[in-house]
Amino acid sequence: MLLELKQLKKQFKENHVLKGIDLSVNKGEVIVIIGPSGSGKTTLLRNINFLETADSGTMAFRDQQIDLSRPTKEQILWVRRHTAMVFQNYNLFKNKTALENISEGLVFGQGKSKLEADELAEKALDQVGLLDKKGFYPSQLSGGQQQRIGIARATVLNPDIVLFDEPTSALDPELVGTVLHDMKQLADQGQTMIVVTHQMSFARNVASRVAFFADGEILETGRPDEIFDHPQHERTQQFLSAIAEDY
Amino acid sequence: MKLSKVITSLLQGLPTTLILLVLSFIFASLIGLGLAWLYLRKNILASGVAKGYLGLVRGTPPLLMLLLAYYGLPKLFQLVGININDWAKLIFGIAGLSIGWSAYLAEAFRSAYLSVDRGQYEAALAVGMDDKRAFQRILMPQTFLIALPNIENLLIGLVKATSLVYVIGIVDMYSAATDLSNQNQGVYQLEIFVILALIYWIVVLIIEWGFRHFRKHYQYVTV
Repeated sequence: MLLELKQLKKQFKENHVLKGIDLSVNKGEVIVIIGPSGSGKTTLLRNINFLETADSGTMAFRDQQIDLSRPTKEQILWVRRHTAMVFQNYNLFKNKTALENISEGLVFGQGKSKLEADELAEKALDQVGLLDKKGFYPSQLSGGQQQRIGIARATVLNPDIVLFDEPTSALDPELVGTVLHDMKQLADQGQTMIVVTHQMSFARNVASRVAFFADGEILETGRPDEIFDHPQHERTQQFLSAIAEDY
Repeated sequence: MKLSKVITSLLQGLPTTLILLVLSFIFASLIGLGLAWLYLRKNILASGVAKGYLGLVRGTPPLLMLLLAYYGLPKLFQLVGININDWAKLIFGIAGLSIGWSAYLAEAFRSAYLSVDRGQYEAALAVGMDDKRAFQRILMPQTFLIALPNIENLLIGLVKATSLVYVIGIVDMYSAATDLSNQNQGVYQLEIFVILALIYWIVVLIIEWGFRHFRKHYQYVTV
């Protein structure tokens, strides 16, 4: 087991966003979380790398046991340095070039030398076919290019697990394919991932397991065919039947 | 009176004007950064002190601030047993302008910091930077770029405000012009002041050119 969440709870004022989440992730697995918007999927990811702090719950990650409501500064940094995140709005550093966006975490997060970081960053850019854009700032790149650099920025850190927060939701439809292609490639390489997405075909084709999430709870998990072809929970059935997309 | 004599006389005050401008701006920026930092802290006392300072200083005319610095600072220092009565007037001029402009700069820095996209900070943390690195590498440069238009305006405003130091007897360009005018019983007053205005304008043009150049360098950084 690479990561195990137990009874993760989070509320914003009176709103119980996460009502005691249990989730385990094995090495090499691709967990895809689907469910209605506003149900707490993003908050779940943000609690894993401490962009939010949970009210209660524990996380076992690699060999560490962490109290999610009272993490130490060292634990927070340690988790962040062993995970990576891809954001819905890309969040590329606006004051850094494409290359710097990728090398920055290597130098200032992992302490690598500038030279080594630049080499790794160039390689990562080359892998997503954007080496010719290395001197470009985010404002000079399309949404799809930005997100692919966002993915390169995450994976270059060689993280144990990559958290994808609706990586294609802000993209123009014709740019979604390239980003999903990069993600599939990563999955094929054995990268452990937790992906929050509305792309059902990705969930069906790439996920090791799909978790259906609604109203702050994981209502059902299973293999993609189990969830999509034989959903057990009424809420899952409602959700899937309401989706127009072919999956 | 020859044009060259007018220009030469006025330019004699230019170094003082530039020293006032540069040093006041540096000190005002440093104080402004400190104030913005205090203001943004969660500590009520710290932000209260900053708010009080900002309110007081912004509510005081710059001319009055110079007079207060000139007459008030020696008294204040005397309270702690330090005699600064024989310090050069220029120092009091710089102090008055620095205090006056620090409040505006603090507000420029503070508002810029608050308008940096929160996602930028989160992305920095997510790639493993600690708070300090995230601030140095991502937040601070973007804050600066957002604040840039305000900083430019404040610097240009300060160019003109330096002329107020005549009230405490510092001989800058403006004082040099009034002296020259008085020496000629006001006969060439208009000509002298037109030339003075042109010199100030050139200083402002140089500043604008510098900022434009800087902006062009970062034209693709859309913060």
